[in-house]
Amino acid sequence: MSHIDLDAIKAEIEKVGSSSELESLRIKYLGRKGLIAQMMSEIPALAQEERATFGQKANALKNQIASLLAEKENSLGKQPSSASKLNVDISMPGIAQELGREHPITQVIDEICEIFIRMGFSVVEGPEIESEFNNFTGLNIPLEHPSRDAFDTFYLKDYDKLLLRSHTSPVQIRAMKARKPPLAVVVPGRVYRPDATDASHLFMFHQIEGFMVGHDIKFSDLKGILETFAKAVFGKDIKMRFRPHFFPFTEPSAEVDISCSMCKGKGCPSCGRKGWLEILGSGMIHPNVFKHVGYDPKKYSGFAFGMGVERIAMLKYGIRDIRLFCENDLRFLKQF
Amino acid sequence: MKVTYNWLKDFVEIKIPAEALANKLTMAGLEVVSLEERNGDFIFEIEITSNRPDWLSVIGVAREVAAITSSKVKTQSSKVKVKGQKLKKASENLKIETEDKKDCPLYTAKIVRGVKVGPSPNWLKDRLELIGCRSVNNIVDITNYVLFETGEPLHAFDLDKLAIGEIIIRRAKKDEKITTIDAQQRALNEDILVIADREKSVAVAGVMGGKDTEVSYNTKNILLEAAIFNPIIIRRERQKLGLQTDSSYRFERGIDAETVLAASKRAAQLIQELAGGELILEKASSIVKPKKKSIILKIDSVSKILGIKIPQVKIKKILIDLGFQVKLKTKNSLNVFVPSHRQDVNLEIDLIEEIARIFGYESIPTTLPQIKPQISLCTRKDDVSRIKKILFGLGLNEVITYSLVDRASLEGFSQAEPVAIQNPLSNDQEVLRTTLAASLGKCVAYNLNQKQDYISIFEIAKIFQAKDKSAPTEELFLGIALCGEKMMLLDKGLVREEMGLLHLKGMLDVVFSRLGIKDYNFKVEASGEISVLVHGEWSGRLTQLSKNILGRLEIKNRNVVVAEIDLEKIFSQTDLKKQFKPLAVFPGISRDISLVLKEEVSAQEILDLVKEKGLPLLKEAAVVDFYKGKQIPQGFKGLTVSCLYRLDERTLTEEEITPVHSSITSLLVEKLGAQIR
Repeated sequence: MSHIDLDAIKAEIEKVGSSSELESLRIKYLGRKGLIAQMMSEIPALAQEERATFGQKANALKNQIASLLAEKENSLGKQPSSASKLNVDISMPGIAQELGREHPITQVIDEICEIFIRMGFSVVEGPEIESEFNNFTGLNIPLEHPSRDAFDTFYLKDYDKLLLRSHTSPVQIRAMKARKPPLAVVVPGRVYRPDATDASHLFMFHQIEGFMVGHDIKFSDLKGILETFAKAVFGKDIKMRFRPHFFPFTEPSAEVDISCSMCKGKGCPSCGRKGWLEILGSGMIHPNVFKHVGYDPKKYSGFAFGMGVERIAMLKYGIRDIRLFCENDLRFLKQF
Repeated sequence: MKVTYNWLKDFVEIKIPAEALANKLTMAGLEVVSLEERNGDFIFEIEITSNRPDWLSVIGVAREVAAITSSKVKTQSSKVKVKGQKLKKASENLKIETEDKKDCPLYTAKIVRGVKVGPSPNWLKDRLELIGCRSVNNIVDITNYVLFETGEPLHAFDLDKLAIGEIIIRRAKKDEKITTIDAQQRALNEDILVIADREKSVAVAGVMGGKDTEVSYNTKNILLEAAIFNPIIIRRERQKLGLQTDSSYRFERGIDAETVLAASKRAAQLIQELAGGELILEKASSIVKPKKKSIILKIDSVSKILGIKIPQVKIKKILIDLGFQVKLKTKNSLNVFVPSHRQDVNLEIDLIEEIARIFGYESIPTTLPQIKPQISLCTRKDDVSRIKKILFGLGLNEVITYSLVDRASLEGFSQAEPVAIQNPLSNDQEVLRTTLAASLGKCVAYNLNQKQDYISIFEIAKIFQAKDKSAPTEELFLGIALCGEKMMLLDKGLVREEMGLLHLKGMLDVVFSRLGIKDYNFKVEASGEISVLVHGEWSGRLTQLSKNILGRLEIKNRNVVVAEIDLEKIFSQTDLKKQFKPLAVFPGISRDISLVLKEEVSAQEILDLVKEKGLPLLKEAAVVDFYKGKQIPQGFKGLTVSCLYRLDERTLTEEEITPVHSSITSLLVEKLGAQIR
C-alpha cells in the first residue's frame, strides 16, 4: 500500500490531453486488470485483522481515482472535439448567402405606415393614372387658379382629362366614395410632377397621405396624431410646430415643422438658418371635399395630411441629393 | 413678396423689433423666408399663399400686423381734390368701351395734364430699391410704389401717344402684334385681352404696357389706368406669353374694387405731389357698388373643429382686429360681415381658420382621437411585402426606377403601344413604360459602370399600356435582372458562378413555392423567350437580353437575364393555406440512375418517364447531378436521377424495389437511347 502515491496518479491524470489517453488511464487503474483490481485480489492473502482496513483503503482510493477521472473527462469535453480541430483561420471572410436590401424609400414608407397602422389606420392604395376630377376638382382645386401652380401635372396624350397623379390626395376621394365614416387611412405611392431634376427635385417621387373622418375629429386630434408620428420617426426629443398655411383641400391648414436635428433649432445651413425643417402639410378636410364624396359636412369632420417620403428619408439618413434614390447605385442601396 | 419694416410703420404702429415680428408673421401664416437689415430698415421676404392676394401689399401685411400685435391700422386719406366736374365744360372727354364685361369688370382712367417727368426723389427710389424694384422715372415709380403699397397694379400711358378720346378693352385680333415695354415683339391672339385705342392695341391687359405709349422724359400728359381683369384671362395670357409680372401675379389672384379706387386716388395724389400736373378727368367703366358679404358663425362650431373652447369675447376681438364687422345674431352665433378685400372668406370654416390662426395653432391642445378598431383585410401592400421578403432572402436588391421613359428605350423589350405624355419636359419623359425590363437593363448598365461585378436587382412597379382607347391599362409587375458572376470564397477556394436563366427560374421556384403556387411551368417560345405559365395562363416571361439591346445599353462581354411577372395573376393564384401531413413512419430507399444521353433530351422528358413507370412505389424523382466534359462524347450529357421509393404502411424490401427500378432503367434506355453508366 505504501508504494501507491495518490499525488502521482493525480499528476498523471492532469497531464492527459485527449479522451483516448484518459480512457487508457482508466483501464490502468480501474480496469479489470487494473491497480484497484490487483489490490482487491491481494486481500485473501492478508491477515484476518488487516483485511477490513485494506479493503476500505482500496475502496477509498478507487473512489478518489474515479472522481479525478470524471473531473478530467468533464473538462476535456469543454474543449473542441478533435474533428473541429482543423486549421480554421477565423479571420478569413465568413461564408454566407447575402441578403438583398430593401430600397431606403420602401423602408421609410413601411416604417411610417407601421406607425399609423399601430394607431388604427389601414393602408389603401390607388392608381397612378388619375382623372382630372380626383386629382383637382374633387379636392377643391379650381382648374384655372394659381393654387394649381403648386401641382404642375403630366397629362396623358390621346386620353381626355387623364393625368399622372401629382399627389396621393386623389385616393382621399376614392376611399371616401367607397366607404362610410369612420375612416382612418394611410396611402403610400408614387406621384409625378414635371419638375426639372436637381438635387432637391425629381419628376417622380413618393408621398404618404393620411386622413381620418368621423363624427368628432378635431384639429387638436390632428396635432396629437402627427406629434405621435413625428416622435416615432425622428425621436422623442424633437420639437414640433404647426404653422398656418393654405391648401385648397383643407381648412384650417397647417404646415408642420420639426426642430432641425443638426443645430437643435439654433439655425444652420441645413435648415436654411431657420432652426426648423418642414416635414408635412396638413389640415381639416374642407367641407367642399366632403360634398364631392357625398359626406355631410355638418355630420362629419376629419383631418388629412401628406408628406414627401424622399424628404423624410433625406432628413432621416442625412442624404443631400434626392437623385441618389433613383440612381440605384448598389453601393448606395447597400448602406440601408 | 418683400416689404420693409419702415414702410409697414407708415400704416401700423409696431411695438416689437423686426425679428420678433418676423416670427409672429410666420406663425400667423405669412412665412418670412428671409429677414435682412439694410440702410437702417429691415426687408422681410414673405411667402404669400395663393388664397391671400390681399397680403400682396404693404397695407395688407400692415392689417395683419395690427391683428397679431393688437395694434391699429393708420388710415391715410387722399388729399387730392378731384377736378373732374370742372372739366365737363372743357373740350376733353374720354370714352371707355369694354367689349365684354366678364373680361374686365371695372376699368378706371384718370387724366393728369402738365406733369414734369424726371427722376424720383430719393426716399421713393430707396424704398423701391429695398424691395428689389428698379427706379425708372417719377411717374413709373409712383405706379409701382402704389402697386406694392395697395396691391393694385396701375399703368400710366403717355396720353399724347394715344389716339384721342377712346379706350377700348377688347380681345386681340388674330395675328395682331405688340411690342411691350421690355422691347419684345409679341404675337397676340383672340385669347389675349388688350387695351387699345381706336387704331392699335397699347397694352397687354394686366400683364405689361406697350413700348409706344410708355411714359418717357418727354411725356407731358398721362392717362392712369386702374382696373380689374378676369383672373382666368390673365392666367392664360401670362401662360401663353410666358410673361409673369408683378401686375399679372396680382390680377391672377384677384383684386377687389375698393382697392382699385383707393389705389388710383393714391397714385393721382402722389403724381401731383411729386411730378406736378393737374388731375383733370376721371372716368370709370361702371359704378362700383360694394357687395356686403356676411356669414353666420356658430360659437360651437369653433370648438367642434379646433378642439378648444375659445371665449366668445375673444372670437369677436380676433375677427374685429382682422377687419370683420361682427354682430350678435343669437346667444350662440355671430353675424360676421366680410371686408371687400377678403375674397377668400366665404364659409363658416374660413372664419374658424382665421380664429385659429390668430389665436395661435400653438395654443390649440394636443389630443388623440377615439379610433374605433378597423379590421383591415390583407391589402395589396401586404401581398407585395410578402413577395419582397422572399426576394430579399434570395439576395435580390430592390431598386426604384422612373415610370416615364423615352420611347426608343422600349425597343426590343416590348411591342405594346405605350401611353404618351402630353407635356413632357424632356425626351426621358415621353411615354409611360410598357415593361420593367428596359429600366432594369439601364440600372444594370449603370452599376457595371460603377465596377460592380455581380448585380441582382428587382423592382415591383406599375407598367402601362394603351391597349384600350378609352382608358390605358395599369398593371403591377415584378421585374428581376441578374448579371455577372456571383463570387463565393468557399473552403475549397474561390467559386465563380455566372448568372443565367436557370438562376432566374430557381428564384421563381422559391417564390411560387412560398406562395403555395404548384401548377406552373416554363415554356420555350419560338422567339426564344420563355413564358411562365401559371395554371396554364401566361403570367410572365424570362429573357436573356439580345446583343442589340446590350449594345444599346453599352454592356460589353456580359449577359443579362431578366424576368417579368404579372403580379395580379400571381396574387390571384396565391394559396397560403397550410395543411399538416404526417411525417413518414417507415424509411424509404433511395436509388440513383446515372445516364448518358443526347444533349437535346430534356430533364422533363426523363422525369416524366421515371414517374410513369415508378408509381406507386416511387415517391420522388429529381435530377441531382449533371456533367459534360471529357468522359462524355460530344453532343451528349451525363445526368443522375435520384429515385426515392417508400410506402406509408410498411418498410419496403430490396426485392420489391429492384424490379421497379430496373424497369425504369430499361424504359429510359429503350425510349431515350440512354446509356447507363
